[in-house]
Amino acid sequence: MDSLRIPILKIGDILIASIQVALHDASAVQFKDDLLQKIHDTRAKGVIVDLTALDVVDSFIGRLIADIAAMAGLMGTRVVLTGLQPAVAITLVELGLELPRVLTALNLEKGLSMMQRLTEESGDDAA
Amino acid sequence: MTQPKTAVIRSDLDIVIARTMARDAAKALGFGAIDQARIATAVSELARNIFLYAGTGNVSVKEIERSGRKGIEIVCEDQGPGIANVDLVMQDGYSTSRGMGMGLPGAKRLMDEFNIRSQEGVGTTITCRKWRG
Ligand SMILES: Nc1ncnc2c1ncn2[C@@H]1O[C@H](COP(=O)(O)OP(=O)(O)OP(=O)(O)O)[C@@H](O)[C@H]1O
Ligand SMILES: [Mg+2]
Repeated sequence: MDSLRIPILKIGDILIASIQVALHDASAVQFKDDLLQKIHDTRAKGVIVDLTALDVVDSFIGRLIADIAAMAGLMGTRVVLTGLQPAVAITLVELGLELPRVLTALNLEKGLSMMQRLTEESGDDAA
Repeated sequence: MTQPKTAVIRSDLDIVIARTMARDAAKALGFGAIDQARIATAVSELARNIFLYAGTGNVSVKEIERSGRKGIEIVCEDQGPGIANVDLVMQDGYSTSRGMGMGLPGAKRLMDEFNIRSQEGVGTTITCRKWRG
């Protein structure tokens, strides 16, 4: 479903993807593949995935997000989720999915400053 | 008030249609945002199971009432392979598909009442309810 492909923007060392449509399974998998490919191609230090528009995150999408964070981590890229609606966050925990290794921020703006801190820190480590 | 509605599950697109239908019904019945998310998520899990394990089936939603209390009832039915051991599939982490084994126990936690009737070779019917607080 190319029509549902989620655009991934690159700003400096950071990739930003904002999910604006209800994701069906195939488009979610496509997004994961696109994002990991883009991380690889751009050597991005960080990825922000904005979920403000998602009103349901079920086990399928939840696992996909956890996979993205784990795989990006292996490539040395930090992942921050932004805009998770309170009802969605509560439901995820009740469902049994807590995404313990995924960083979250209230909104895109806070996510960006969190990412700036994170990538600066890792830059210092490397120096 | 709200009419009973049914969604046929044949593809992963229908999973989105079914959970949107359930959310809209829950909203029309006066459920709050968190309950709407719970109901939509439970339906997403059950509809995906139909798609994955039975191929096709139906999800229907309707308004219910018991001793003056209103609620929503969701029935998910398929004529798929059925479930041999219902207690086993209700355990967190049990999966035959390399899933997380979270769908059924998670959906049960999200709803107030949850019942599975299943027979091998015949199919599965899951009925769950949520009452308005
Ligand atoms: N409608 C169904 N028909 C036949 N078997 C089913 C059906 N629904 C669930 N099952 C069986 O129950 C198991 C557990 O289902 P559950 O939804 O809890 O986990 P999962 O689908 O394996 O993984 P997850 O939902 O976390 O991605 C499935 O692996 C499958 O074997
Ligand atoms: Mg499942």
